[in-house]
Amino acid sequence: MTNAAVIETPKPKRHPRDRWRATGWKFAAPGLSMIAIVMGFPLVYALLLSLSSFTLLKPKLQPFIGLENFRAVMADEYFWHSVWVTIEYSAVTVMGEFTLGLVIALVLNRVVRLKAVYFAILTVPMAMSPVSVGLIWHMLLQPNLGIVNRLLELSGIGGVDWLGDPEIAFWTVVFVDIWQQVSFVILILAAGLASLPKEPYEAAEVDGAGDLQQFWYLTLPMLRPVAAIAIIIQLINETRTYDLVYVLTRGGPGIATDLLSYFAYRRAFLGLSINEGAAVSFVLLLMVLVLTVVFFRLVTRRA
Amino acid sequence: MTRQMLSTMLASASAVALLLGAQAAHAEDLKLTALMEDVPETHIIEALLPEFTKATGITVEFQKLAYPDMHQKLVTQLISNKSAYNVLEVDFLWAGEFPEAGWLAELQPFVDKTNFDLKPFIPSMMDLVGRHKDTLYLIPMYNYSMGLIYRTDLLADAKLKEAYKKETGKDLALPATLADYVAISKFMKKNAGVEGAAMQSQRGDPNSMEFSNYLFANGGQYLSADGHVALDSPEAVKALELYVDNIQHGAQKGALSATLDDTFRLMCDGKAFSMVTYWWMLPQIDNKESCPNAAGKVALTVMPGGHGESGGWGWGIAKNQSAELQDASWKFIAWVQSKEISIKRAMQGHAPTRSDVFEDAGVLAKYPYYKQALEVVASGMSFPIFTYSAQYEDVLGRQLSLAGSGDVKPATAIKAAASGLDELMKKAQ
Repeated sequence: MTNAAVIETPKPKRHPRDRWRATGWKFAAPGLSMIAIVMGFPLVYALLLSLSSFTLLKPKLQPFIGLENFRAVMADEYFWHSVWVTIEYSAVTVMGEFTLGLVIALVLNRVVRLKAVYFAILTVPMAMSPVSVGLIWHMLLQPNLGIVNRLLELSGIGGVDWLGDPEIAFWTVVFVDIWQQVSFVILILAAGLASLPKEPYEAAEVDGAGDLQQFWYLTLPMLRPVAAIAIIIQLINETRTYDLVYVLTRGGPGIATDLLSYFAYRRAFLGLSINEGAAVSFVLLLMVLVLTVVFFRLVTRRA
Repeated sequence: MTRQMLSTMLASASAVALLLGAQAAHAEDLKLTALMEDVPETHIIEALLPEFTKATGITVEFQKLAYPDMHQKLVTQLISNKSAYNVLEVDFLWAGEFPEAGWLAELQPFVDKTNFDLKPFIPSMMDLVGRHKDTLYLIPMYNYSMGLIYRTDLLADAKLKEAYKKETGKDLALPATLADYVAISKFMKKNAGVEGAAMQSQRGDPNSMEFSNYLFANGGQYLSADGHVALDSPEAVKALELYVDNIQHGAQKGALSATLDDTFRLMCDGKAFSMVTYWWMLPQIDNKESCPNAAGKVALTVMPGGHGESGGWGWGIAKNQSAELQDASWKFIAWVQSKEISIKRAMQGHAPTRSDVFEDAGVLAKYPYYKQALEVVASGMSFPIFTYSAQYEDVLGRQLSLAGSGDVKPATAIKAAASGLDELMKKAQ
């Protein structure tokens, strides 16, 4: 009997790309775990709620009732109105924020002195909570004792029923929302403008391109990825708007400002039907996803 | 006495002292929190809280919020494992919902244990915010029955009287019917340089409560005597037509987005002839310091037609808390609703729920209008109280707002509101 020599076979070497991938997962693991806990769990729980008979009066997940909650909310004649108002509201506010934000960002990009001061002032509305913003504007726009109408009356223009006229209330909420959210768009776009390379502009100037041509053929195309991010983030924010409506109008007058998130709140907390509130929230989530995907595709296709 | 006996006695005395000290220290550690509506009543009680702490060693903290934010905040606490609020201020609109959900502790055992006397409480208040399905869950805290506050100087103005007579052929006097009231309101807006009515017609609780007065004043009702929905009636349609007419032609600009605060400011500033509101708003408006333009010129009366909206708050105890905190909560409720403290509160303008406070000579001497207030309370009728009262306010409020803005006709709005009530009542069964 002979001692068999132990032949050590070398372990197959991992491809560097696999090692990189594994290291990447290790680094991402803590962040992904946190996301799974703070986002994944509530999302799954909300999905369970939306498929169950769980109400505040009978807080039990059993029995599961399938899509019955979705059917119930969609059968409500005011649900589809809320969906439409939400789409209209999101489109108008995002367009307003982007247009105004781009103009201000372009102006600020050319400002040399006191730039930091302008930015500090512009970020004040963004730093305020939407409820505070709503309360402040509610006081300013109070039709009888508010300062805005007082100034209009002093200048010979009659006072306006900002929040009590169904034709005007929607636009008033849009205006207040844009007032608060535009700072975020300005900051993102200003950062994008600051990071654009100088060389294309120098070449364009040598070629005799004017300001408008430079803006149209250089600035806008190069700014597109940053602009897309700003628009998508704001689209998500605006579709979920709740606080301003709650403070300013309660969905009224009539149903003029009855956004879907406020509809969900009323189902959940006034109707005590958390399950139906969760179903509405999932419809809202679906809307946000569809809008985001459609917009993202539009932007990337053009790019 | 031997040294051993002496040391034993000293040791025992020290132990007893330590125990008593610990107990006192523990009582001092006890802190109750209550979520309260930010109204004068809350401030009146808050000023008296040091007396309770002095007597019991228990501290009480009031977290004050505007009414519309209270329901959600309370519900989120009551469905949790442990409520942050120990003593609960419960609106009559939730007096069906909270017990049905099993969030409130039954109070009869506390009443029996402490021999708390329930007899002085006005029976209608006990029905409104006391018992639910024959079980005691709440102790009536204060009432907010609604009436009409109006400007006496404008009603007595000779020039206005003459103009009104010329325009309508009638004498300008306290209105006897709802139609008369709306006519006077519109007249005042046109001729007196003030708004005819300061109206709180924002969608939801404000317009639901306000409209209920119009409904009852015009002989309408939500439910029949046998508990069936009776809202869809000619009286209700007429009441809503008058309500819309007043919003559009008698009220201030922005009535459809106005709340109680807005109407109070307008009336306080002397810029409105009338407001349909809670009776205890009278002393707030009739106050020379805070409302110099209106003080001395306002009075209270029952809604024209004889009935207004009746409402009230009750004290309850959250079930999802320890027995010790429940006991402490009851101590507070028994104290704050005792005759002595209720009279002290009444002297500051409290809206009593005990008949012995309404009849107290000192209270009546200071506030003669408590006589009218008692009439307002006695003649008040109630919004439907059931599991989904809060949701019904929203359903009704939406229809009233749609009618107010001219988007739907009053008859259509009433039909939809009646059908909504019927659906929710069936859901509650």
